Amino acid sequence: MSGLLQQLFNGLVSGSFYALLALGLSVIFGMLGVVNFAHGAFYMLGAFGAFVALDSVGLSWWLALLVVPILLGVLGMVLERAFVHRLMHLFPLYNFLLTFGIALILQDLLRMKYGVTSQPYARPSMLDGAVNLGLFTYPKYQVFVFVFSIALSALVWLVLTRTRVGMIVRASTERAELTQSLGVDVRRWVTPVFGFGIALAGLAGVLAAPMRAVNSSMGADLIIVIFAVVVIGGLGSVLGSVAAGYIVGMLTELGNFYIPSLSQILVFVLMALVLLLRPAGLFGREEGAHA
Amino acid sequence: MLNVDNVTARYGEAQVLQGVSLDVDTGEVVTLVGRNGAGKTTLLRCLMGLHRSMTGDIRFDERSIATLSPHKRCRLGLGYVPDDRGIYASLSVEENLTLPPVVGPDAWPLEKVYETFPVLAERRRQAGTHLSGGEQQMLAMARVLRMGARILLADEPTEGLAPLLVQRIGEIIRTVKEHGVTVLLIEQNVHFASTVADRHYLIAQGRVVESLDNAEVRQREHELLEYLGI
Amino acid sequence: MATKLTKAGALAATLTLGAVIAGCSGAGGPQAEDGGGISDDAIKLGVITDLSSVYSDLAGPNAVEAVKMAVDDFKAEHGDDVVTQNIEVTEADHQNKPEIANTTAREMYDRDGVDAIFDVPTSSAALAVANIAKQAQKMYFNIGAATTELTGAQCNAYTYHYAYNTYMLANGTGKAVTEQGAKNWYMIYPDYAFGQDMKKSFTAAIEGAGGSVVKADPTPFPNDNFSTFMTKAPTLSPKPDVMGTMQAGGDLVNVVNQYNEFGLRDKGVELAVGLMFSTDIASIGVDKLAGTLYTTPWFWNLDDRSREWADRFKERTGTRPTFDHAANYSAAMQYLEAIQRGGTDDADAIRKELDGHTFDDFFARNAEFRAEDHAVSHDAYLARVKEESDVEEDFDFTEKVDTIPADEAYMDPADSGCEMG
Repeated sequence: MSGLLQQLFNGLVSGSFYALLALGLSVIFGMLGVVNFAHGAFYMLGAFGAFVALDSVGLSWWLALLVVPILLGVLGMVLERAFVHRLMHLFPLYNFLLTFGIALILQDLLRMKYGVTSQPYARPSMLDGAVNLGLFTYPKYQVFVFVFSIALSALVWLVLTRTRVGMIVRASTERAELTQSLGVDVRRWVTPVFGFGIALAGLAGVLAAPMRAVNSSMGADLIIVIFAVVVIGGLGSVLGSVAAGYIVGMLTELGNFYIPSLSQILVFVLMALVLLLRPAGLFGREEGAHA
Repeated sequence: MLNVDNVTARYGEAQVLQGVSLDVDTGEVVTLVGRNGAGKTTLLRCLMGLHRSMTGDIRFDERSIATLSPHKRCRLGLGYVPDDRGIYASLSVEENLTLPPVVGPDAWPLEKVYETFPVLAERRRQAGTHLSGGEQQMLAMARVLRMGARILLADEPTEGLAPLLVQRIGEIIRTVKEHGVTVLLIEQNVHFASTVADRHYLIAQGRVVESLDNAEVRQREHELLEYLGI
Repeated sequence: MATKLTKAGALAATLTLGAVIAGCSGAGGPQAEDGGGISDDAIKLGVITDLSSVYSDLAGPNAVEAVKMAVDDFKAEHGDDVVTQNIEVTEADHQNKPEIANTTAREMYDRDGVDAIFDVPTSSAALAVANIAKQAQKMYFNIGAATTELTGAQCNAYTYHYAYNTYMLANGTGKAVTEQGAKNWYMIYPDYAFGQDMKKSFTAAIEGAGGSVVKADPTPFPNDNFSTFMTKAPTLSPKPDVMGTMQAGGDLVNVVNQYNEFGLRDKGVELAVGLMFSTDIASIGVDKLAGTLYTTPWFWNLDDRSREWADRFKERTGTRPTFDHAANYSAAMQYLEAIQRGGTDDADAIRKELDGHTFDDFFARNAEFRAEDHAVSHDAYLARVKEESDVEEDFDFTEKVDTIPADEAYMDPADSGCEMG
């Protein structure tokens, strides 16, 4: 029994990354209607950011956790103003291709500089060791990742549901044009929201640096699963993408445990089932579909 | 108050509006009557700035608004209720009411809205789309009052509603009018139109073909119904 | 996915080109060699390697550089007596994909007049090229791939397997660790040809040494999350003494990081690594690997001879060589020397020259071009990752525990299943 619980907890930890990435992707999709293919690349940049910050400036992981997402958020906003914005009134495929290109460029720039092998990154010493969770002991760092991502998701949820900014984001996500005609300047919010989504991806990257291989392909390997997570949760549904992140995390772990050779396809089987039975996603609303 | 001058609009290759001109004076209730596909909804979208490929001029209070973006038109006092009522599923009833900024001095405070529409007060915490169709329509109009808009642009508010609810919408429109808000309404129900409105424009194939008053509408009701295919 | 879109186009173009070329050479029939002299008045060496993806650091551009270095050294060594001054090195990226390796090899042999192909990491790609070499009757020295199939069921007269194979890795690490007392193994392997091959070889070696494999789990590839396997390991029955990981590259980094995270060593489960390059140790960090046993055919500071070559390599490339780089150099040198001895680059003459040839250089000790299965057998080393405090310079990661003599490091040719046609 405790074995199963431990597997589920493993799933929550890996789901933490899915959740943070899917959350950003989902907010961006909702607000801009852009499927941001570069999301994985910004996750990768987050991890590299932590590595470079430590390696060149001696910036600790804790500070990197704050600074790197902010810098990436700013970079995201610049990219949004410079490129994404110009294509927004065109067919969505244009922005898909644009972000795909941005992803390839970022990935290859990093590859040019650092090659394909992974960069070493040590865990912050404060989070070394293990904690006793009652039924089992678990690496302290991974527990931190889980708690942190839950807290962050909850915070984002509170901002979205309890503040005027959140209300505007929800309204724009659901129906951008209508919101515009109700006197809200949606375009003003688009850039910061894009930056915020990117910052979340960067944050996930910083969290990943001490426990995952830091290399130029780490984001590309992940992005397809994240797309599946967003689809499962319901495109543009914030709560859905977070929940689906944890669900997919646990599902993959259980798959690894019981049928390792099939675990990779489980998430896509789930995606196919969800699309068949609930096309708007587990948490999506049909009403939101015509935004 | 609102002057539409030779407005054309196209969807891709199709010309939907072929030069529409009409005027709405302050305090009036005016309806646009016409078959499905005549271009009424497109005209309303043009007025709100939601339709991109448009020529001609639109003036509001003698000021041209044809190139303004939708949110600026709203802030000048245009209150829009789209054909699907525009209620957000992800916002509560109260959030649906308070999403738009206050744009005019006559904006209703929330208390007044709840007083006038008690059902909205009861269900203020529920998701907007949990309301019935009639209640959603009520909410959409109440939202315009809450903003303090000076003209209500409503796209077929009675569509799909039971007769009793249609009456209720009529009452609301009269309330709106009493508060000095001008109304431009799309309506297929000519009988209903003649009970709430002062004047009517008959729209066909992207043009204004006739301007009618209530007496004319009543006189020619059968002819109009036939024409509208109802 | 991220790269497939762009590569699909390139692939289609390559395939078309390959088909056209194959058609042409088919019509003209195989080129007749006259059995003497240097064809086209030039020796052409082709390096097919991973220039852009996961193995481009451990093989890649520096493998090409190693072959070029061998050419330079060869010319310098023989001076005016050199068989020809005209020695070219060409390179191509196969992205570790067998279909690209296949068409590239065909182009090299048929269109570019390449006389010998080197490196070709990734087992499936390596086997594809072996097949082309057999058809084209041209030389092929595989270095980067690990599969024993190259010298087993799919061996052929024109293909030599140079540096290492899964048998060597298994009989080094698997056998040694089992004999040290770690009888029960839990194995995780990436679910593709290399991983499956490693699992087979390790299982045989472990069982041969009196141990047993409690469980072997395939893992997704690529994969960044191994926590399931880490939590599973100590709960198996009987409890494994050691976890054997067959992952490579970034996946291996993830395994080792998470092995440490979950404190498996404290839970009595040691770590054994199937295949590891010096680039991997650099990525993971010596601290996380200290004490880990693994098998390697070579490392750069094995002894003075090796270090002397590694220093020259570093002058050219700015970095320390992996064993793949060293083996590429060594193989290219052996090939050129064979041409020098025989005075011809004709493939049939060269293979006769090489078969049974024994040699000893900075890379390969007690080495032999085995005629029976075309494995180039040589000593291998059981090695240990140094303690962090013992590291004296960059890339100084490895200490030798034991030498595995060539006849133990390589399978008895009688068992290889190779029928040399």
